[in-house]
Amino acid sequence: MVDPLTQTDLRQSSSLLNPGESVSTFSLKILIADDTPINVKQLEVVAARLGHRTVVAYDGAAALAAFQAEAPDLVFMDIMMPGMDGISAVRKIRELPAEKWTPIIFYSALDRMQDIVSGLEAGGDDYLAKPASTQLLKAKINSYARQIALQSKLQDYAEELARWREDSEEQTRLGAHVMARLTDAAGLRDPMLRSFNLPAETFSGDLLCAARAPGDVLNLLLADAAGHGLAAALSAMPLTQAFYSMTAKGFPLASIAEELNRKLKAILPADRFVAATLASVDVRNRTVEVWNGGNPDALFLNVHGEVAMRWPSRHPPLGILPESVFSGVSETVVFQEPGDLILSSDGLTEAENQAGAWLGINGVIDLLGGSRETDARFKGLLDGVDQHLQGEPARDDISCLMVAVPIERRREFRFSAPKLINQSQFAEWRLDLSYSAQELRYIDVVPAVLGLATQLQALKEHQGALFLVLSELFNNALDHGLLGLDSITKSWIGGFEIYMQQRAERLARLTEGRIDLSFLLHQDEARAVLDISLNDSGPGFDFNSRLGDQAALSESNDQVFGRGIGLVRSLCDQVIYSGTGNKVWCRYVVSDLVQDQVGASADLTGL
Amino acid sequence: MQITLDVTAGKAVLSLDGRFDFHSHRDFRTAYEGALADPAVREIVINFQKVDYLDSSALGMLLLLREKSESAGKAVSLSGLQGMVKQVLEIANFGKLFAVHG
Repeated sequence: MVDPLTQTDLRQSSSLLNPGESVSTFSLKILIADDTPINVKQLEVVAARLGHRTVVAYDGAAALAAFQAEAPDLVFMDIMMPGMDGISAVRKIRELPAEKWTPIIFYSALDRMQDIVSGLEAGGDDYLAKPASTQLLKAKINSYARQIALQSKLQDYAEELARWREDSEEQTRLGAHVMARLTDAAGLRDPMLRSFNLPAETFSGDLLCAARAPGDVLNLLLADAAGHGLAAALSAMPLTQAFYSMTAKGFPLASIAEELNRKLKAILPADRFVAATLASVDVRNRTVEVWNGGNPDALFLNVHGEVAMRWPSRHPPLGILPESVFSGVSETVVFQEPGDLILSSDGLTEAENQAGAWLGINGVIDLLGGSRETDARFKGLLDGVDQHLQGEPARDDISCLMVAVPIERRREFRFSAPKLINQSQFAEWRLDLSYSAQELRYIDVVPAVLGLATQLQALKEHQGALFLVLSELFNNALDHGLLGLDSITKSWIGGFEIYMQQRAERLARLTEGRIDLSFLLHQDEARAVLDISLNDSGPGFDFNSRLGDQAALSESNDQVFGRGIGLVRSLCDQVIYSGTGNKVWCRYVVSDLVQDQVGASADLTGL
Repeated sequence: MQITLDVTAGKAVLSLDGRFDFHSHRDFRTAYEGALADPAVREIVINFQKVDYLDSSALGMLLLLREKSESAGKAVSLSGLQGMVKQVLEIANFGKLFAVHG
């Protein structure tokens, strides 16, 4: 049976519908709970007109069951129904765990204030008195459809955000794992070294690297990529491999800086860069060399807590300048007293307290100067940073590398006894190289040559000693033979720096000259030996008077210039100068050769 | 951060006011893109007089501007450096990358 009034209403209302709003693009599932079919019909017709689906329940218990089974978007609820009434049904519905917001509209003939209030208190969202015109019902449904659409959009955003968050956490976990593996180098556990790296987020974008170069030089890298967290770490990661492999081969700091910059420039976008400090601590030669691009001053503090040397940032960070303009020029300083070398990222100097004040480079120096001994100094700095932050999380990654630099009176090299070589495995090897001035200006000859030589199994474990021998011989040939530098300069106060500067200037202008090197690995009686000879095209020197009486060289002189040759003599079996002093030949003992097992057993069977 | 753009005699001056950090990305780009597209502009000056904070992403934005203006054949310079801003730009040696006036 159809109520004629409702029919008229519907016809009227359909003519009032604008085409755009007649069917909502957002289709709802509407639960209608009413025991009177005529009321159900009215709502069904309006809902269908608007493009919504309906589910019908004829009493409270059925409404509760339908709500659970169908998860409707909107509910029209009558109050007076057989069995469970509408208010009890809503109360029970609201006790159910809810994943989304489902508005419930009481649609009832009861229209006293108390009915309205108890309906809303039971968990209803709205109240409509029966009978409502089709027009009003339509407007109500449209109004709720808009709110539900908005709500559902918000819910989608929230879910998307939660998925993003999960993804991001997963990426961070992976990033932290890879970063930890990449940066966990044995070099960072060097007894001379202490370090900390406090991340602003889950993990730090600052990168610390340390490794021994051949000849026992300690190389360090402290890199701080723009930003922090995963993105920053990603920018700094390519640096590790190049740093470690070039350090192992004995490349100079300037060449390492150039390579790191070239690498980053090639892969990073224009707005990303990496501030970096590279340092090289050479205890034997008592020098500290630093290249600083964009980091706070590197510091050398003596035992009294005074800043004996400092290296401010002289270059833009890595990854900005093209190769043609980039400068790997570093600053080398001779130290006369023991102390600590400190490298840090700007997270340290820019650590903010609650008042917004930075710790500053002077704050760092004060904290370090508070103690005389390295470990206490290191702890003093860590505690001081903690205190300065006053329990607030740091805004940027904070990292620091600290090297305890000693003065060593004895400079002996103890290399482990070489492995014996089986005679049948041994083969002669010969290498002749010749470098002209053009090549000498830009090639790192010693690492290049050493790289070739140490590919031979027999020479691999001699890399450290060979690096020292070759460096001394080659630097003598280049510095004194071709560049005409005088080692006496190094003995002046500040002379080492002058010497290094003259060397760089003269090398850049070098147009003539040549250095020849030759290597011969062969058998000498029961030993494997490597003969090294070097000729330079320079004028030579009076080797008889300079080297004739080694014993006469005092300790202090030895430190400055006699030492190089002394070192070569201690590492080699023989060292012979010839020509005008522009030729040097030396013999390095690689190992004893032994008869191998197969040969020995053959002898026995022969008996 | 507030940005005001003032173009006179072929020179576009972007005066920044406030914190120049990651959140300034869109505003800063919108401000300089207008100046880059304007054929009458030959030089872009970034005025830091009223900037009280600068982070590494701000440095990145300056590098991006430098690259874009190079390809557009326009000069970029920095002015009004003071306090913390001056310190940060000095440590990063941006004086080697940009012309700096006062």
